[in-house]
Amino acid sequence: MAGWEIPLGAAIAFAAGAIGTAWAQSRIGSAGAGTIAERPETSGSIIVLEAIPETLVILGFVVASMIIIMVE
Amino acid sequence: MDLGYINARVRGMHSRLLGQKAFDALMIQQDIPSLVSELEKTPYRDEIQEASVLYPGLKGIETALRLNLVHTCQKILSLVEGSDAEPLVRIILARWDVHNIKTVMRGKHLHVSPEEIEECLIPAGSLGEPLLVELIKQPDVRGVVDLLATWEVPFARPLTQYLDEYASARELSVLEYALDRFHYENSLALLKAGKSDHEVMRTLLMQEIDSLNLKNAIRMNRDRVDPETAQKYFLPGGESITLEKFLIMVKANNIDEIVGTVEGTPYYFLASLIPEAMRTGTFSVLEKELDEHLTRKGTGVFRSDPLGGAVVIGYLWAKQNEIINIRIIARCKDARISDAELEKELRHV
Repeated sequence: MAGWEIPLGAAIAFAAGAIGTAWAQSRIGSAGAGTIAERPETSGSIIVLEAIPETLVILGFVVASMIIIMVE
Repeated sequence: MDLGYINARVRGMHSRLLGQKAFDALMIQQDIPSLVSELEKTPYRDEIQEASVLYPGLKGIETALRLNLVHTCQKILSLVEGSDAEPLVRIILARWDVHNIKTVMRGKHLHVSPEEIEECLIPAGSLGEPLLVELIKQPDVRGVVDLLATWEVPFARPLTQYLDEYASARELSVLEYALDRFHYENSLALLKAGKSDHEVMRTLLMQEIDSLNLKNAIRMNRDRVDPETAQKYFLPGGESITLEKFLIMVKANNIDEIVGTVEGTPYYFLASLIPEAMRTGTFSVLEKELDEHLTRKGTGVFRSDPLGGAVVIGYLWAKQNEIINIRIIARCKDARISDAELEKELRHV
């Protein structure tokens, strides 16, 4: 199997992770901005929270890579 | 604006409300100057410093608390502008308009000086301070209503309608009832069915109406008001207190009948207090319990839906309660009331 299915599968795995991350970061970002506006001392934790959804897109990237490398 | 952003800011503001420790620190102060110093360590610092320059003592604290409430309401309103939570906040702030219009009308009815009326106003609603100052300048109640009508303030409609009745009977309660009824009907009509935040607000408004009807019914029973007149002062739209129950309470010949009416309603906690209130003729304990019940419900919505507009409603209730409690502490300290009595007077929610 070396047709269009493999790159498409990899693209879906990566894109879904990226969309999920974008959505989560937008929500955390707006709430985080509100929190920092009222309590600037929380900025450190907010930056960490904002970065957590990045794991989703990294996971998507790993899955996409595995699909391309391992599926033959 | 995004509700996530608004809620996060409101939660940040909520976290700055005074906790038990801060209240304990305020309560152990011996007099007003030390209370002012203690308040300067809280988020009320700016307003306290501003007001203390103008007015010393208790008046300074009350002015600062009023300023703080007005600033908070204005900040909340600017935050929610254009969001789904805006109508909910406007409904809550409309209560201050009702309070201010009633205060000005009462002042004019009783020929109180403009300075004294101004001290009792809280310009946190849509009628700002300059408009309220213009209202106070009016010579009588008719002038106040006419000016409101000129500005096309919606509250002028019910007042204009009942102005002739007021002029003939010289009973201000006619206008006050018209104002309350319009406010609750208008607020309930603004809420949309099916929206969870709006349903929360509807329930709170209905409980507020119940609370007012209960207070009125018990007072009218004490004053032996005839049921036909009492019926005119019933506010429709409540949750548990129907017109039938209201009239039973007004007509009741003994305490058991009144207690029986609240049985099976969320106000059954009043059953143990009503006999004492009827015997002594003092309703402050009863009213305090009702207000506490309402405040508990209001502040409780803060924890209901973390992503909805109800968080803002809960915060506004909590803020108002905090200011009421600080005011109670200040007044008790000024009147040299004992700590035990002061503790009883506070609103615990």
